[in-house]
Amino acid sequence: MNGSAIERVFRASSGRIVAALVARFRDLTLAEDAFSECCVRAVGAWQVGGVPHDPAAWLYQVAVRVALDALRRQRTRQHMMPDPPPPEPTAEDSMIDDRHIIPDERLRLIFICCHPAVAPDSRAALTLRLICGLTMTEIARALLIEETALAQRLVRAKRTIADAAVSFELPAPEYWAERLEAVLSTLEIAYSKAHEDAAGLTTHAGFAAEMLHLSTMMVGLLPDDGDAHALAALLHYAEARRPARLDSSGMMIPLSLQNPVFWRREFIVKANAFLARAVQLSPESARTLQAKLQACWCERLTLSDPAPWDRVRHIYDELLLVRDDPIVRLNRIVAVAELDGPDAALAELDSLGHKGLEQFGPYHAVHADLLVRAGRLAEARAAYEAVLALDPPPAERRWLADRLAGLPTGQ
Amino acid sequence: MKYALLIYEDEAFYGPDKTGSKIEEIVGQHVVFAQELGARRLGGAGLKGTASATTVRTSAGKKTVHDGPFAEAKEQLGGFYLIEAADLDEAIAIAKKVPVPQDGAIEVRPLLGP
Repeated sequence: MNGSAIERVFRASSGRIVAALVARFRDLTLAEDAFSECCVRAVGAWQVGGVPHDPAAWLYQVAVRVALDALRRQRTRQHMMPDPPPPEPTAEDSMIDDRHIIPDERLRLIFICCHPAVAPDSRAALTLRLICGLTMTEIARALLIEETALAQRLVRAKRTIADAAVSFELPAPEYWAERLEAVLSTLEIAYSKAHEDAAGLTTHAGFAAEMLHLSTMMVGLLPDDGDAHALAALLHYAEARRPARLDSSGMMIPLSLQNPVFWRREFIVKANAFLARAVQLSPESARTLQAKLQACWCERLTLSDPAPWDRVRHIYDELLLVRDDPIVRLNRIVAVAELDGPDAALAELDSLGHKGLEQFGPYHAVHADLLVRAGRLAEARAAYEAVLALDPPPAERRWLADRLAGLPTGQ
Repeated sequence: MKYALLIYEDEAFYGPDKTGSKIEEIVGQHVVFAQELGARRLGGAGLKGTASATTVRTSAGKKTVHDGPFAEAKEQLGGFYLIEAADLDEAIAIAKKVPVPQDGAIEVRPLLGP
């Protein structure tokens, strides 16, 4: 096995091993340190003695010994005793099968990493580090922060978890809903960071793949939770559309104009299955309804298939019953414009009021588009300028600037 | 695990000197809440208004006495509980039940030491 193959083994097994160590030793730092140390030892040992029958089992066994040893050293130091020699992996370690010895404690660890007491950005970073085994460099790049800042953030998060006595057990039933919501929203936010990079040309594409993997894992760990399924569906639909989100110049293409031929069918198939289960388990949850919206778009096979505006509006009506906020209303208005014309949509937009939406780019973008369709070009120009002033992401900026430049002049 | 629940709210809500019907009402709610907590409540108290506060400040080893609270803020420390809870989730659940008449915040802080 060469170096990169060994790296892949480490990455693939890190989440389960770290989670099992955390469950056993109740100490995130100890678990993380023990895992890195066992990887260092593996590189040396495997080169000499060959790769064991089950590398993950070997790593876990050695990590447990490293952790026990660290604890023993801590204790002996307190009693001024010399350190015992480090334990060596035994022959049996090469024979063991990991399925029987590594308990799957990843769900517990995700709940710890995503506790509401931990800052939202740190929750994502901690999850990516401990569950996905991403390196500090990868996480820093994905979250667009300096590596030193990331390291400090992780230290702070781990200290909060230890000091405030975040439970190492799965949440009790009375706290379940709130704690799960913190986990799912962490995954959602982390994915949307990856999604902002529409082209997927940078490291974000790999990061997005990790988020898909995590959402699939959550479904596996929580087979009876509707929201976990709905989130997995949402992320898979979004990822399916990534190849069609930009044109060759790097300009954003709105969903209704994207060519479905470029959408990745294998993700849509998976998303449909997650959604079907979400609909069975929690048909009225906001996440399920949002996934249904994505599903109607993803039924299109070509651009000549009719756009599903009628169903879209209907689902937004249902969504308003469980989540009535200006953003849902704004999205519904886009469908209204297609079905009832721009004047009806503008009337609804006016009734929304502007409060709190002035700083929200999509509000101005929708407003500008409706004004163009209604022939109110001077106002449309002002609305485009308002959204451009809010510094949208590059792909969106191009689209909006293009629309603005395309307006007839002299009005 | 021991936690302090620090109650921050705008004391102006209770009127001058924290006397009158509003404070009586909230104190009544706290009495009921403290009974519910039972043995999980290790201590706690409501505090008089910040107008009654005196601050002893140490600066470069020198101590000076000032009138008023240590910092002016829109919301002030108005009272606290010391509680025993199994973990942070339980402490948060208890904090959610602390009576708050209008806007306010309960800061959940683990105590140093065992």
